[in-house]
Amino acid sequence: MKEEIELIKDGKRLDGRGFDELRPIKIEVGVLKRADGSCYLELGDNKVIAAVYGPREMHPRHAQDAKMAVVKFRYNMAPFSTDDRKRPGPDRRSIEISKVCREAFDPVIMRELYPKTGIEVYVELLQSDAGTRTAGINAASIALADAGIPMKDLVSSIAVGKINGEMVLDLNAAEDNNGEADMPIAMIARTNTITALQMDGRITKEEFERGLKLAMGACHQIYELQRAALIMRYNQNYESKSKREEE
Amino acid sequence: MYQVVVPGDFLSEETKRAGEGTYVEEGKVYASQYGIVNVRGEIKVVPLSGKYMPSNGDVVIGRITEISSPFWIVDLASPYEARLHVSALSGIAREQIEFGNMSEYLDVDDLVVVKVMDVNMLMKIELALQEDVELRRGGRLVEIPHTKVPRVIGRSGSMIKMLKEKCNCFIFVAKNGRIWIRGKRDDMALASTVILKIARESHTSGLTDRVAEFLDSFRREKERELRG
Amino acid sequence: MGLEIVNDVRTDYVCDLVRNGKREDGRGFREYRNISVERDIIKRAEGSARVKIGDTDVLVGVKVEPGTPFPDTPDKGVIITNAELVPLASPKFESGPPNENSIQLARVVDRGIRGSEAIDLDKLCIEEGEKVWMVFIDIHVLDDNGNMVDAAALGAIASLLNLRIPNERYGLTGENTLPMRDTPVAVTAVEIEGNILVDPSFDEGNAAASSVTVISNADGTLSGMQKSGSGGLKEAQIAEMVDIGIEKAGEIRKKYL
Repeated sequence: MKEEIELIKDGKRLDGRGFDELRPIKIEVGVLKRADGSCYLELGDNKVIAAVYGPREMHPRHAQDAKMAVVKFRYNMAPFSTDDRKRPGPDRRSIEISKVCREAFDPVIMRELYPKTGIEVYVELLQSDAGTRTAGINAASIALADAGIPMKDLVSSIAVGKINGEMVLDLNAAEDNNGEADMPIAMIARTNTITALQMDGRITKEEFERGLKLAMGACHQIYELQRAALIMRYNQNYESKSKREEE
Repeated sequence: MYQVVVPGDFLSEETKRAGEGTYVEEGKVYASQYGIVNVRGEIKVVPLSGKYMPSNGDVVIGRITEISSPFWIVDLASPYEARLHVSALSGIAREQIEFGNMSEYLDVDDLVVVKVMDVNMLMKIELALQEDVELRRGGRLVEIPHTKVPRVIGRSGSMIKMLKEKCNCFIFVAKNGRIWIRGKRDDMALASTVILKIARESHTSGLTDRVAEFLDSFRREKERELRG
Repeated sequence: MGLEIVNDVRTDYVCDLVRNGKREDGRGFREYRNISVERDIIKRAEGSARVKIGDTDVLVGVKVEPGTPFPDTPDKGVIITNAELVPLASPKFESGPPNENSIQLARVVDRGIRGSEAIDLDKLCIEEGEKVWMVFIDIHVLDDNGNMVDAAALGAIASLLNLRIPNERYGLTGENTLPMRDTPVAVTAVEIEGNILVDPSFDEGNAAASSVTVISNADGTLSGMQKSGSGGLKEAQIAEMVDIGIEKAGEIRKKYL
């Protein structure tokens, strides 16, 4: 059986966080010049850049959809992003994650408005510390908005996990490697609709339900940060605040 | 007036007034774009970014990408290609244009001012030549996001009028964000700089005054230099 | 990746039936199609099983070979799961490197086995740091008529029960069998018109916007979950799918494993 490494001491996690605390999040909108939309995001020690190209002509032609845009999502880890160098190029894990991330956005992107085109989302992990796909989804939401892609909602994402028998929010790498379960989700905050869900490890049904609630609550917090970053990006250049108050 | 919204923001319950950049769900109007919401008349969200989507009547600057008899294939800075039929030039051609010599009239990479005549269901876009605007040699093209075009034109054309006067240039602003400038070299450089500045600061207030000040101070600087 | 080819007419038909509480083949929403499990059918594999759920047909073969352990687990065996959606199984499958669907299938099945710790990896150590047994679980889909995941996962577990360790072939001594510590079972459900249906048929799988696979163990704990597809789900719907997953896994486990 696995040795239990002590990840919780005196009711706190090794990095000082409580069970329901997120790591610090930093968001910058529109960081790349060539991409149509982009976002740089940090979630704890995760550093991720998301870029969106499109809608643009879709190649190859035979892969076009006459009725709507085709969305491609590529999640990729830079070779220097992990302790052990990761060989460049897609591996099975990245391919699965790319699929899960793409599907997380399917319910919100209004693809019918751009038939026959392609919308490409690229997420590059520059530095990883567990929860990379959740950081990627959060950044991609903002990059899609920044690119002017019409969407019904933003998508927010976070993971919960089980460490030393407790369900906790937003595992870091040490917790993920030594924990008993990891459950990333993606959600539309406005409607509490879940668009991605995976669970890896072993938990009881009750732990699952508790963990899901914890994660959904955190997604609301993250949504507020995403929204604020998008709004502040234009607000900070306003010269007269009173004009807004007039409305 | 300048309220920024993000996709999913609730805008109103008056679903009958829902316009561009919004969607209706269960009796409520929500934003579908990241942009500036406007509730006078229709409830719409003007996007801060996004690709130009051609619509009938738009006058735009296209770039020839391919000659595919009997059409020129034209790039409109849009996700969709457009085509210009060889007969569109019959008014200005000296003789019947043969398929073989289409490139003598419009070659790949040439710029042309066109009008969008039809956008059909399959997103095939038909164009006609806009004859009253000619892109003669010696000009330059500036490209800005099409969403910033209204700002470059200004309310009742106030901004573009000021630019033309103070830069002393011929400036043609097309709906797809492509802008044609013609004038002396230094004047064109000034006009480009100012247009890009307007595009960058398009969402701020007091822009017209700031641009006027920028142009005036530039002039004063130039005059000072000349006087030595 | 292009979109799955969906026949709108069939989708409308399925949705219409569901709205009236029915399914194409007359099943209840919580009913599985006919399941059959044949074990040990490939002599050259150390474990094998062929599972049919309705007309979906999946063959799983397990090969056990000595190999080098991962550096961070020098005393543990290695499980490697792969899935082939071979072209003969469906007009949609093409030959070539694994695509995202076959990769997802393999990884979900793998997740269930790993999460449950059904295989005691410590027992697969031959020489610490040098040599361990590698367990290759290869899923070969023969006929895709919906819900390949559940069939593949069931096939994997059925293959692993009484797995033969080929000590003799490699001149080694050791236990020749490896009993499983648990029996994780995957149960996939889809959401159509607000209803939860278990074991989607081919058309139901295409008509549904989302599916959730719940993998649970003999004691009712969960050892894997995966939501797939383009739709969104409410918390209550997922909770229902978990409940159904645990219930159906119990029934399947009792009858076939």
